[in-house]
Amino acid sequence: MLRKIPIAVCAVCGVFMAAQYFIISGPVSDLYGAVLDWMQIIFVCALLAGILQVVMSQLKNIARPGSGRVYSSIALAGIAVMVVLGFGWGISRGSPFLWMFDQVQAPMQTTVFSLLAFFVASAAYRGFRARHAESVVLVLAALIILLGRVPLGEMISPLVPQTVGWILDVPAMAAKRAILIGIGLGMTATAIKVIAGMERTYLGGR
Amino acid sequence: MNIDRRIIFVIVALAVAIPLVVPLDLPVAVTDETRAVYDRLEMLDSGSVVLVSFDHEASSLPEVRPLAEAIVNHCFMRKARVIGLALFAEGTAVGYDILNDIAAQQGKVYGHDYVYLGYRPQYTAAILGMGESIREVFPTDYDETPWEEIPLLQGVHNYDDIDLVISVADGSLPTYWVEYAQARYGQEVIAVLTAVMVTAYTPYVDAGQISGILGGLKGAAEYEKLIDRPAAGKRGMDAQALTHLAIAVMIVVGNVIAFGARRKKKTAVAGEHAV
Repeated sequence: MLRKIPIAVCAVCGVFMAAQYFIISGPVSDLYGAVLDWMQIIFVCALLAGILQVVMSQLKNIARPGSGRVYSSIALAGIAVMVVLGFGWGISRGSPFLWMFDQVQAPMQTTVFSLLAFFVASAAYRGFRARHAESVVLVLAALIILLGRVPLGEMISPLVPQTVGWILDVPAMAAKRAILIGIGLGMTATAIKVIAGMERTYLGGR
Repeated sequence: MNIDRRIIFVIVALAVAIPLVVPLDLPVAVTDETRAVYDRLEMLDSGSVVLVSFDHEASSLPEVRPLAEAIVNHCFMRKARVIGLALFAEGTAVGYDILNDIAAQQGKVYGHDYVYLGYRPQYTAAILGMGESIREVFPTDYDETPWEEIPLLQGVHNYDDIDLVISVADGSLPTYWVEYAQARYGQEVIAVLTAVMVTAYTPYVDAGQISGILGGLKGAAEYEKLIDRPAAGKRGMDAQALTHLAIAVMIVVGNVIAFGARRKKKTAVAGEHAV
């Protein structure tokens, strides 16, 4: 019974959301609007549950001896400071909340993300080795794209950016389309299985 | 031969830093892709309503900000009215800053020429909900001003009143704009993306589901050239060009060294067999 009720709810919601796409009428639109509101309400509840989970997990780390204590304390302090600043002084232009976001969070995140350039360069040096015919093609494609996606390519020859265009529009696009079509078919099949009650892993079972 | 990775890091750091200190002023050629987006925005009439959604995280700011600034600049230059919002929490503050900064530069008035609605969680529900009523999804703006007190928003009900949606993204959000706003409500969508995402969205352009793509620092530099406002995109492009060149040279050098080593090994093995 505990499993049958959520499966039935899921089936009814799934069929309704699919059917409402084709039905234009007042009651159906109203119900559809209510479903959209509920989606946001559920998401916010999930967000609160997530915050609670993060706080609990950090508190557990603090209670445990070890170097993780320091990091968990910083994480909790960060959460607390932003909550206090947001609720205390608002989130408008010039507020301490926005200042913290602009001057602390954004630079930290961009710094971490920027490190990628260094690791990509190191990985490219080590990884792009022309050991056999296939890897020669890979190395050549990488070099052409590296140079063709910046003004240097145009300066070397107009053929370089043109070749980049061909690589991206033909072989890369073919692979991308195949992946997209595969994802689309997979999503459709999974949705049908969920609505039909054949796919139940989301309930935590097998 | 394995070079110490710290040497590679120093080379990359120099390749990034030098052009930022001493601009190379490399020529930027405008691609058809970027020109298509520019031409579409040129078609906007005065008073058109453009919805700019900041669907990205703070981590991609160095790439996304020049793109967003260029596109918002052009919207204001066309005298379009801009409605900003965010479907990623981190994009909220970024979008708010960008809109206010560019509006201040162009002398635009909040509430009349532009408005910022802020963030709504659960992007699927938010995008679908705006198709029914934008006011239901955003009853107030970011500063909690009620909908009915904002002149720009009067007469704006749903996607029927929006001329163009521009999703500034570093992830999969444009897919949701296509699946829910374009496919269901026929809303025209333009995607402004980080360079790595461009290939993923080109099939949507070919299918007519996205009207145009503006991608990466290259796209930003090209767009800045088109609107004649060189800024961070142009400066960043020099750094990116030199870094790409450095990586390309390292790949070539690495292969030459590896080829030489393999050849030497082969010769040595052949010599051993001969003996």
